[in-house]
Amino acid sequence: MTEQYRSRFRTLTDGSDAPPGADHHIFIGPQHPWAEEPAHFIIHLKGERVVEADIRIGFNLRGIEKAMENKTWRQNTMLIPRACGICSAVHQNVYVRLAEKLAGIEDQISERAKLIRMFSLEAERIHSHILWYGILAHDAGFDTMLHVTWRDREIILDIVEDFSGNRVNPALMLIGGVKRDIPKEKADRAQPMLDKLIKQVEYHKKVFTEEASIRNRLEDVGILTKEDAKKVTPNGPTGRGSGLPFDVRKATPYELYDKIDWNLVYYTEGDILATTMVRLDETLESLQMCKQILYQLESTQGELLARVKQKIPEGNYFARGEAPRGEDVHYGIANGTDTPERYKIRAPSLGNIDATLKRMDGEYVADMPVILRSYDPCFSCTNRVMVINEVTGEKMILNQDEFARKAIKAKKYNRPFF
Amino acid sequence: MSDVLKELEGILNITLPGNLVEGVTKVEEGHFDVMCNVTNAFDLMKILREDAGIYHLSTISGVEKDDEFNVCYHIQHRIEDEFKEVPINLIITKIDKNKPKTPSMLEFFVAADYYEREIYDFYGIYFENHPFLQRLILPERWPDDVKPMRKEYGWEQIKEITMKITKEGLEEAK
Repeated sequence: MTEQYRSRFRTLTDGSDAPPGADHHIFIGPQHPWAEEPAHFIIHLKGERVVEADIRIGFNLRGIEKAMENKTWRQNTMLIPRACGICSAVHQNVYVRLAEKLAGIEDQISERAKLIRMFSLEAERIHSHILWYGILAHDAGFDTMLHVTWRDREIILDIVEDFSGNRVNPALMLIGGVKRDIPKEKADRAQPMLDKLIKQVEYHKKVFTEEASIRNRLEDVGILTKEDAKKVTPNGPTGRGSGLPFDVRKATPYELYDKIDWNLVYYTEGDILATTMVRLDETLESLQMCKQILYQLESTQGELLARVKQKIPEGNYFARGEAPRGEDVHYGIANGTDTPERYKIRAPSLGNIDATLKRMDGEYVADMPVILRSYDPCFSCTNRVMVINEVTGEKMILNQDEFARKAIKAKKYNRPFF
Repeated sequence: MSDVLKELEGILNITLPGNLVEGVTKVEEGHFDVMCNVTNAFDLMKILREDAGIYHLSTISGVEKDDEFNVCYHIQHRIEDEFKEVPINLIITKIDKNKPKTPSMLEFFVAADYYEREIYDFYGIYFENHPFLQRLILPERWPDDVKPMRKEYGWEQIKEITMKITKEGLEEAK
């Protein structure tokens, strides 16, 4: 099996161990305008076609797993969302479910708490998918779509901010339940906004399927067949675009995903358009789930937070959740104290790299941005900052423009920031 | 144990030889832990991959115990008609702490490459027959003999090393 996928066993990046037939070598990254995150791609070309592609990762090790071994289970609840900039809620959800299972209190979580958790997860999926296909359109040279999608994404971010106080890191979950309730007036306020967003996403779908300038960039590009997909094991929308109909929400249902009405989306074509359609359809599916959840919340009552002890008894558990990008895998071992013995996180993007490299074989170099984007490399997109004056303790909340304006003025006129 | 083993064999539609499997526990409905000695791991994985047709590897995690290392392969048995998955944790036990080595499963799973190299980085466990067992995640300047996820290195020590290599890098850039 290894002979077929030799690309990553090339020893050097300077082309000295190049694959046979390749005449040019393109190095992308670690710092590159295409990608906001550090990753190094090596693409071997023959003429305009790709012969082989390789990747080097590991420019951004933060040591979260080691840090978790030095903090208590309760403290880690707030550390774990920082594993990812944009799918923070799903990491927290998998973590709290794992801790609840080890503590043996998974039956005590009320339905209301589970529904609020599910709303947080689905809202995250919606804004992550909208963000992704906006940037995909930008990579394909269709910038109008980027601005349209990001304008509409604000609707769901406003709802998340209303419910949790934060835009992209809601941090609603705790071991034993949730932190905040969703009161009826807030839910009523959100319903018409969701209706509006459904209309907008239907319009996005129309653009992606009918507008030739974007469709031609995506159709029949970077095909990953089902046989190849079984070998390189992609997860999430990347796999579902290639005809592997597996979603953790359906495969091993958690929270109340088996009690709510929703359809599994999968396509069999395997090209970039198929993965895009998976995400577009999933966004619509998640939006109708959000509406259902808010409707069910009206009639469901229950304690938001169950009682949980600081110390978690010995044991190990393997928990999974469906992140916007694929399956999010956590494995935790408890040793009877209040800190974990070992905690392992596998974020979905690592499992999708193989599939993306496989997609590139024999494609044009002009299609690289679209193919590289296809597995949805993770972005951090928080738009606001809080600036604290160290001397006086004064706080200011600024958006990006104000921050930039202040910073430029301070630099230009050599003035203090405040 | 034998009931659980029979249930697992029924789901996978194969027979697992008794001498290869050390123990099977049922975590919850449709979720199993399989324990296996390091000498039998390759043969057992061969049966699971080729006879039972398991092709999805979620991840691999390394675990440090008091007197041994464990390596845990998290694999999924997929039933495509029902859209179901059966998670199986294959825990390889009794990896010697002084000379840690275990067979590489790259022959069965392409995805095993990154995960095995990550464990090699973090724990220094050597995967036999891996064609390209090199550094994946740790920084280039990281000292070769420091395996950061081992219990002997505390959080403060790791911070010190990180600061040291960062300073070296900055000085070299000047």
